Amino acid sequence: MAQLKSQIALKELLKDYFTGMKSPIAWCTSAGPAEILRALGFEVYFPENHGALLGASRTAEKYIPRAHQEGYDGEICSYLTADIGAWLMKETPLTKIYGLKSIPKPDLIVFNTNQCREVAEWFNFFGREYDCPVVGIFPPRYLEEITQAEIDNVTDQLKGLVKVGEKIIGKSLDPAKLSETVRLSFEGSQLWKEVLETASHSPAPLTFFDGCILMAPIVVLRGTQICVDFYKEALVELKELVAQNEGAIPNEKVRIYWEGMPVWGRLRSLSEFFAENQTSVVASTYCNSWVFDHFDPDNPMESMAYAYTQIFINRGENTKLEMMKDIMGKFEVDGVVFHDSKTCFNNANSRFGLPKRVEEATGIDTVSFDGDLVDLRFFSEGQTRTKIETFIEQLKYNK
Amino acid sequence: MDDYFLGIDLGSSYTKFAVTDDSGGLMFNNVIPTLSRNKDMFRNQLAKINKQFSIKQICTTGYGRDTFDGDIKKTELICASAGVSALFPEHKCIIDIGGEDIKIIESDPDGKVINFYMNDKCSAGTGTFITEIADKAELEIGEMSDLAKLSSGSKIINSFCTVFAKSEILGWKFNNIPIEEIAKGIYLSIVTRIRKLPVKTHIPIILCGGVIAFHPYLQELLSEEFDVDIFIAPNPQYMVALGASILAMKNEA
Repeated sequence: MAQLKSQIALKELLKDYFTGMKSPIAWCTSAGPAEILRALGFEVYFPENHGALLGASRTAEKYIPRAHQEGYDGEICSYLTADIGAWLMKETPLTKIYGLKSIPKPDLIVFNTNQCREVAEWFNFFGREYDCPVVGIFPPRYLEEITQAEIDNVTDQLKGLVKVGEKIIGKSLDPAKLSETVRLSFEGSQLWKEVLETASHSPAPLTFFDGCILMAPIVVLRGTQICVDFYKEALVELKELVAQNEGAIPNEKVRIYWEGMPVWGRLRSLSEFFAENQTSVVASTYCNSWVFDHFDPDNPMESMAYAYTQIFINRGENTKLEMMKDIMGKFEVDGVVFHDSKTCFNNANSRFGLPKRVEEATGIDTVSFDGDLVDLRFFSEGQTRTKIETFIEQLKYNK
Repeated sequence: MDDYFLGIDLGSSYTKFAVTDDSGGLMFNNVIPTLSRNKDMFRNQLAKINKQFSIKQICTTGYGRDTFDGDIKKTELICASAGVSALFPEHKCIIDIGGEDIKIIESDPDGKVINFYMNDKCSAGTGTFITEIADKAELEIGEMSDLAKLSSGSKIINSFCTVFAKSEILGWKFNNIPIEEIAKGIYLSIVTRIRKLPVKTHIPIILCGGVIAFHPYLQELLSEEFDVDIFIAPNPQYMVALGASILAMKNEA
């Protein structure tokens, strides 16, 4: 499989991001209000990105047991256990990759429980370790419809964050700067959406596995011109591939939707495995989670409150089904693979009957497999391959 | 010389060989342990088959399907479906209890997989589970089925974990639970596990796999549990290998 040129450019971009990080630094969850932090003048570091890196570099297995010794259970978020374990062992893959001595020291730590409760425990651990202020945004959870009262609730919490941030920075938030940051987030996110949607073409020019790499800027550089420029270029490359009818895999016969977290430590082998089976994983809830349609530079606080509350993981089961149906239709998938990620309870969506409801609503088959985002002890390669190979054969027969 | 087709099912516990003729009739079958350090057993078996039959195509299947270079590879679910369908050409539900997993396969009359379920990690209720527990209970595998039939008990092992299940058995032994009740208890715990799987009871249910070959009493217990007739495929341990040889034949065509 040919590597996308954008993936090569990404390496440089991430190197600059990590090596150039200077105080004041704020830590933030991946779907947290990074725009406020940037507009205040913080550089923003994302521990989840570090968690994914610990998984992808397969160093997590060394660190997770250390977190268990500290009392962090084996069945809670393995981003958390890997990250805390690495901290306790005073190591980070950032040393080997970018020459950093340690992870960036925070001046402010911010989390949003729109994704799970674990982020609170994770970030509070580091608040204690660094003796650093921690601000939590606690939006209403598992929503179907979102009411104005709920948006007002989150908007008020964001205003509270601004006050804490201003105190640390020592100056007031510039409304024009916030508006501009939100505009850049909107533009970057819309370009990211366009990037993902090139895979609605058959053959798809990029797969979910490529998306897991290409998504880095929309997570860690959301709200910057760098992010916007990166996706503009990526989009040019992908549109060219579409025009040339060149697929990410040589012979696309089956199109799959991936629901749930990636298996970071098996990204490459799973990518090759699907390709060997003439199957393109063209869509996912995960990569789509950073598509934000509601950022509004004219109404930055409230639109941010809405954008970060309406995400898939924070919604009720009926809304999740509707969101999946929308993506499944757009990408014309033949089947859905649910990754039941053992330590990511909040983003393992096969446990409350959703696969069956998806099948009933769309007539499209699903399969679920057990695994984990980072902790490979929960992933059985042989069983998973057998399951997915059989599923693909079943889909080919149904076509 | 007539054409023959070989299916090799490299399962987690045993490797099964099946040779079929060009009409799908089973001409030969045999089993050897998988993962024997001595690879001669596998080589000798292959040599014997090649001497006796002119093999046109080989299909490998099972957990170790990638370790032998045949003409095609198919998963054991696809092969189980093809094998059972050669004998039961109808819409059906197959329960394949193997060494390390239980598979539920909804299969059409032509042997295509319509839907399936299999466990991913925990192998409680499978062949290896029974072997481990029976060892703790001091039960001979070959005698378990007949012994269990003598029991009217309804005790079951609660633990899904094989190690903890062994501790439970130890407790039963301390409490002088009769050996036939222990044998039945092991089977009932498997039935309870299968009860939780998406078995389709409105279509014929066919059992296959190594476990049912050695523990036929499970058929009776499962029939009672699901309140329907349940059938055992002939040569149940060889259904997957048979399916592989049939798919090898279809590949040639």
